[in-house]
Amino acid sequence: MDANFDQLDELREAGLARVHAAADSDALRLVEREFLEKGGVVAALLAEIPKLAPEKRREGGQGANQLKTAIQNAIGEKREALLEASLMVEAGGGSFDPTLPAAPMERGSLHPITQVTREVEEIFQSMGYTVLDGPEVELDFYNFQALNIPADHPAREHQDTFWCDHEQNLVLRTQTSPVQIRAMETLEPPFRVIVPGRVFRNEALDATHEHTFHQVEGLVVGEDINVGQLIGTLKSFLTEVFQKETDVRLRPGFFPFVEPGFEVDIRCPFCDTGCKVCSDTTWVEYCGCGMVHPNVLRAGGIDSERWSAFAFGMGLDRLVMMRNKIDDLRQFMGGDLRFLEQF
Amino acid sequence: MLISYAWLGRHIDLDGLDVDEVARLLTLHTAEVEGVERVAPHLDQVIVGYVAAREKHPDADKLNICTVDVGDGEPLQIVCGAPNVDAGQKVAVAKIGTMLPGDFKIKKSKIRGVESRGMICSVKELELGDEHDGIWVLDPEAEIAKPVAAALGMIDWAIEIDNKAITHRPDLWGHRGFARELAAITGRALRPLDLSLPSTGTARSVPVSIESKSCSRYIALEIEGLKPATTPAWMRQLLLAVGQRPIELSVDVSNFVMLDLGQPNHLFDRSKIGSDGIGVRDAREGEKLRTLDGVDRTLSSEDVLITSGDEPIAIGGVMGGEESMVAAGTNAMLLEVASFHPTVIRRTATRLGLRTDASTRFEKTLDPTLPMQAAAHLVRTLSDIVGGLELPSAATDVGDWQDPSSVIELRPDRLRKLLGAPITDDEIRSYLESLGFQVGRVEEFGWLRTHSPTRVAEVGATLGGAAGIAERLAELGRQIDTLSLTPADIAEIRNRLESYGIGVGDLSSMSVSVPSFRATKDITIEVDLIEEVGRLYGLTRIEEQALVVSAKPVARDRRRQMVRAIQDRLAGGARFHEVLTYSFLPEELAQKTGVADEAYVEVVNAVSEGWNRVRRSVAPSLLGLLENNLRHRDDVRLFEVGKGYLPADAEHPGDRGQPRQRHEVALVWGAPKPGKKARFDADRLSALKAVVEDLCGSLGVELTWRAVEDERPAWAHPARRLVGGVEHKKEFTELCFLSSIDPRVARALGVSADVAIGTVSIDALVELPDPGSRYTPLPKFPGIKIDVALAVPEALPAAEVVLAIEAAGKGLVKEIKLFDLYRGEQVGEGRKSLAYHVLLQSQAKTLTDKEAQKFLQRLERGVEKHSGELRRE
Repeated sequence: MDANFDQLDELREAGLARVHAAADSDALRLVEREFLEKGGVVAALLAEIPKLAPEKRREGGQGANQLKTAIQNAIGEKREALLEASLMVEAGGGSFDPTLPAAPMERGSLHPITQVTREVEEIFQSMGYTVLDGPEVELDFYNFQALNIPADHPAREHQDTFWCDHEQNLVLRTQTSPVQIRAMETLEPPFRVIVPGRVFRNEALDATHEHTFHQVEGLVVGEDINVGQLIGTLKSFLTEVFQKETDVRLRPGFFPFVEPGFEVDIRCPFCDTGCKVCSDTTWVEYCGCGMVHPNVLRAGGIDSERWSAFAFGMGLDRLVMMRNKIDDLRQFMGGDLRFLEQF
Repeated sequence: MLISYAWLGRHIDLDGLDVDEVARLLTLHTAEVEGVERVAPHLDQVIVGYVAAREKHPDADKLNICTVDVGDGEPLQIVCGAPNVDAGQKVAVAKIGTMLPGDFKIKKSKIRGVESRGMICSVKELELGDEHDGIWVLDPEAEIAKPVAAALGMIDWAIEIDNKAITHRPDLWGHRGFARELAAITGRALRPLDLSLPSTGTARSVPVSIESKSCSRYIALEIEGLKPATTPAWMRQLLLAVGQRPIELSVDVSNFVMLDLGQPNHLFDRSKIGSDGIGVRDAREGEKLRTLDGVDRTLSSEDVLITSGDEPIAIGGVMGGEESMVAAGTNAMLLEVASFHPTVIRRTATRLGLRTDASTRFEKTLDPTLPMQAAAHLVRTLSDIVGGLELPSAATDVGDWQDPSSVIELRPDRLRKLLGAPITDDEIRSYLESLGFQVGRVEEFGWLRTHSPTRVAEVGATLGGAAGIAERLAELGRQIDTLSLTPADIAEIRNRLESYGIGVGDLSSMSVSVPSFRATKDITIEVDLIEEVGRLYGLTRIEEQALVVSAKPVARDRRRQMVRAIQDRLAGGARFHEVLTYSFLPEELAQKTGVADEAYVEVVNAVSEGWNRVRRSVAPSLLGLLENNLRHRDDVRLFEVGKGYLPADAEHPGDRGQPRQRHEVALVWGAPKPGKKARFDADRLSALKAVVEDLCGSLGVELTWRAVEDERPAWAHPARRLVGGVEHKKEFTELCFLSSIDPRVARALGVSADVAIGTVSIDALVELPDPGSRYTPLPKFPGIKIDVALAVPEALPAAEVVLAIEAAGKGLVKEIKLFDLYRGEQVGEGRKSLAYHVLLQSQAKTLTDKEAQKFLQRLERGVEKHSGELRRE
């Protein structure tokens, strides 16, 4: 193209039009070469400048540079636009399908009982409780005698207890309560502990009966520990577990290791007016508790005149079942991943 | 146990207390009510009809065509086969559409060509008794068209009490006990009941001799002059309401008394008792008796027998014999009311599989003063029905028993403190009195007064006071015993006690006399009384209180933290699923996994056959889950944190014979077997090894692996197994065991996948010293990466090769990573080539090619000692 200073406007229009018309990066490259590179239009104009009259040279130089900048900018913009367009080709009818599944990455899982145990531990730890553990194969002394369940008590009958020897010295613990005595033997009052763990009852399996299940036991020993505090403790705990102000109701209940002993009903967490969980009563039987029997404190080496104590025990399997509306207890110990991976 | 609402009404005025309110009050104050059910609800459907006319059926001799007025317009024509139906009777009519017991719906029908629009019911059809020889003829006063229930006042509910809630309450195994509770709860009066024995004749009483320790009291009373009579309707209804089938008058009265007062009793046919009278003795091993249910029972020496002469006539406390039982028409009887040992009765009932109403009650330790009251109640009840009885001789009352009534000191301040409720002294008194206790006034040092000096000294000692306090309290006990305290003495005592932190308020007490019916088992110490007051005051009235927490942090438990970290690591990065399995290892699984011969803690009364074994390790339990899960997925990764138990033995006797506990995490990984061209480390064992290395690494434990030569678990592959642990000062502490599954075990389990198993001992991990900080400064100088391939004899372990590389590096080797394992032509038979990425790096300077070359030269010499060579391409 001729380098003619009189036609700067026309040159620019022509160049921009060609940039605009460029369909791909090759076409764009061609325009770039023709205008901006060695031997191109701008170079030719600049070469003409010395030939101009001195007073026109400055004007000519400016004109050539403006032309160069205009074309350069236009090419830059066009290049971006072309790149964007080329990337977009993949979308909408292109090769990218956002609904295609990703390469699978299976998750692991924690057992629901582990999850609920942790939750319960965290709540009680925040209330100042220490978490304790105890053996599952337990001495008769800790599981029964020390808990005010003497040798001829009906609770020891074969239908309830798994015995590990014919002398009835060893049992599979029927409750987490033996750890109460172990705690009393090792800790100095005042103290407060919880004991989550596995317990055993000799019962035939069905959807609502297991011979192996999980409990959490609580024990608070101190001066002037009373029933009001027991109620307060249970309410605080349950309100935290259900994330909802939960009322409790104590009823007389008989457990040899507490006196007075209570059954605890909780306001149904799932309804206000009655539902399947609460059998339309709005109360759900939840756990047992009471003031620790003086004989039990004595067995643990604690002066029952100086110290008083409350204890409670509740089922963890039931908590998981209630929350998830699980109807078959056997699934917890069944080890079927189709059940477990849901938690 | 079932309690009849109407029955309660015999003992207490129920006006204004409907059955739901009774159930609610009992649940909140006494024992859990599991349900309330209307008794004979079909009696609300069946109505009173009047047989206006009766004619013979034209085509059937035994059928009658009755015209029955049921109140609404047109009388019903009903065909009835009962011989006793007649015009002028009021009868129970089930109209068309009525549902009778047994899902029997009344429909319009034709009987021998005659239309019948309903049914005239018998007692049996309404489940009100066994009589089926005719229809039920109602009271002539019954109002036509009214439901039978309303017309005859047969409206009742059965209240079901949770048996577990009253195992400790022998007084609640009869209606009067529950009525007493209800009276105390509502402040109503218990209706008086005359429980004195009417006067008896002067004939010689029946001799009774007790030779068994299991019977502490035996009352025998002759009853004669029983005129034939049927059980009155009211009694039948009450018995039926609580599920007791009426049989005949004397038996029904016997049952009625048991269900009313809670005291079992038995009636013998007097003519079957010989002149020697009654004996009570332990049975002889193998002795036999046919009980009144017609079953021959073989007895053991633990059972108690009632005998006539030496001949057994009843199993004491459980069931009478068939031979001596009373029947309709027996007019001379011998009444037995006795006290038996609770445990003996329970054992007998359990062993014979014969839990009767009687045995259930005797198990609860009944009030030994009750038998005479029950005897009187039976005589009076029966006498009222038949209009007079003869008691020819005085009751024989023998046995070695004591009135269990006792006195307990109750400290009102202690009560208020323990319950956390402001219950006044007067309230305490009135609650206890309403339950039948007698309460004395509050005395300032009452608590000490009734304690023997020795006991007071004990209290003093446990209070941990100075040396003098124990004696001082003992002295105090004696002084107060004699009630010779002056006001100055009291002031002095008060000061002294307070100086030892003993609240004087806690020493004021009231003497509470416990009635015999509460004293056998339930109420023996102060807190038992506190419970009584608490439940009558109302547990729902006790206000919640805050339990103030000390600001001390809760001590952290390393084991628990570790378990939590392990679970998170495995379920997280390693993508394992946590399972929980039984602590029992079923015999079948023990066989399949090859561990059946190992010693184990044995459950002697297993839940089912083959479930006697308490597991030693968690691993076999996990293996048992593989087959099922592999059916649904290719890749199954399981872990469990759990406990296994090793029986105590001579070497590990354990605390009082307790087994050793093994706390571990077991891992099982099953996945398809790697293909021929898979990388050298594509098998499950390698993969599981990486998981365990990562797991331990995350706990700050760098594992060293070793081959194992010693014993292996039966499920472990004989060759493909190893142990991991830490080495500290040349001491190796084993932490984990890994292996491939033994292919024979895999086959037994029905598993064809590639399976690796691991166990990591949490006990051992917890014992390791805290690893401390693992920080090393970042490198300041670039390192050199060199790839080396070393051909070595097959038998040379990779660990040796790594040692050679480290030695050649002279402290400069920072990383060694195996990236290829080759066997084949290029290295020759019996050799393998191991290729490593090696990073050489110095903290002091930038390394040069010269140092790299020196490293390679040293390495070449190093592996030559192992008959290896550095391969150069």
